[in-house]
Amino acid sequence: MNGIARERRLLNIWILRVSIVLCALLIAMGLAIFFAHGGAHIPATPSGSLRRIMHTAAHASLGLHASAFLDAAIVVLLLTPVARLLVGIYVSARVRDWLYVAIGVLVVALVITGVIAGQSGM
Amino acid sequence: MSASLMVMVILFGGIAAGLVGSLTGLGGGMIIVPLLTLAFHLPIPEAVGISLFGVIATSTGAAPRFVGTGLSNVRAALFLQIAASSGALIGALVAHHLPARLLFALFGIVLGYSAIMSFRPQHSDVAGAPESSPLAQRLRLGSRYQQAGQWVEYRVVGVMPGFGIMIGAGFLSALLGIGSGAFKVLAMDRIMKLPFRVSTATSNFMIGITAATSAGFYLSHGDIPPVIAGAIILGVIVGAYIGGHLVRMLPVATLRKLFAVVLLLVALQMLLKGLFNL
Repeated sequence: MNGIARERRLLNIWILRVSIVLCALLIAMGLAIFFAHGGAHIPATPSGSLRRIMHTAAHASLGLHASAFLDAAIVVLLLTPVARLLVGIYVSARVRDWLYVAIGVLVVALVITGVIAGQSGM
Repeated sequence: MSASLMVMVILFGGIAAGLVGSLTGLGGGMIIVPLLTLAFHLPIPEAVGISLFGVIATSTGAAPRFVGTGLSNVRAALFLQIAASSGALIGALVAHHLPARLLFALFGIVLGYSAIMSFRPQHSDVAGAPESSPLAQRLRLGSRYQQAGQWVEYRVVGVMPGFGIMIGAGFLSALLGIGSGAFKVLAMDRIMKLPFRVSTATSNFMIGITAATSAGFYLSHGDIPPVIAGAIILGVIVGAYIGGHLVRMLPVATLRKLFAVVLLLVALQMLLKGLFNL
């Protein structure tokens, strides 16, 4: 295995491990808080930009609300495939394969378009 | 049913989806959407959105199996992802304007097709195309992988038909909350003549990105209730982890066929709900 392939493999394994563990821990904490409150407080469904969702989650975390951890977990999971895609772009850039850098950037743009189209309520 | 009990049941449903999905390769989405709509009467856009996060969790959980094997064809994945993500974007936009009954009926048909395909014999790697097509050569899609210590080179054809099927796979994924892995593998293996193992590994990489394109739409649109989504995602992660360990101990081929019969019944129920609102 050459150096770039090894680097790609290590980056991908690191992303997969961190995201799955982080996501599972955040959800476990969120659900634990939800059950601790007897399931009485159902967190509101988030909407809007990822920045707005994370901002709301950060505020909710100060009050130890379940939604803070659950929303953060959902965003972490959403960003995991995007992070793997960015690794693909990075590796293409390392070998100066600009066609595939451009293709990768186009795919990232499509993912971002999905988020923007959703928040516009189309 | 109290909210706490409902969330517990959904958590166990997620575990079952992750377990069965990883054991049979049929994917968690095929189970999550019927579970949330038929058993818990969630609106179909919410069920589909949550299921897409389940699909990302399944794909992420299964990915370490493929990372570093050299099987995944990154160039083919990136190029075909333009089609899959475009299809997913269109699917997410269209899903919010289609009547729920049509979505139920469509889900029933796709689920039934996937269940019937489970009875077909599994593929084995066979010699692919003798030479890459001019477009595949220009895009440098041909590659090689290692099998039993030997490098196996393969060539690629049918790029545009494969691209077209990927648009459809992305569209169905966003519309129905499924991974569409079967359609992605079909495009790469049957049409583009990539080896089956390469198609499976490349498809795993693509499923997560396709689901993320439409999941982002559903999330920002306000279709993802955090407690139910959290319970499903955690359940799928745990179920897929257990399934990954059980896969070598259980008669997976028999389980796959047994489960396909159950899926056929669920498909029929979804179809009846769509056609006659039963």
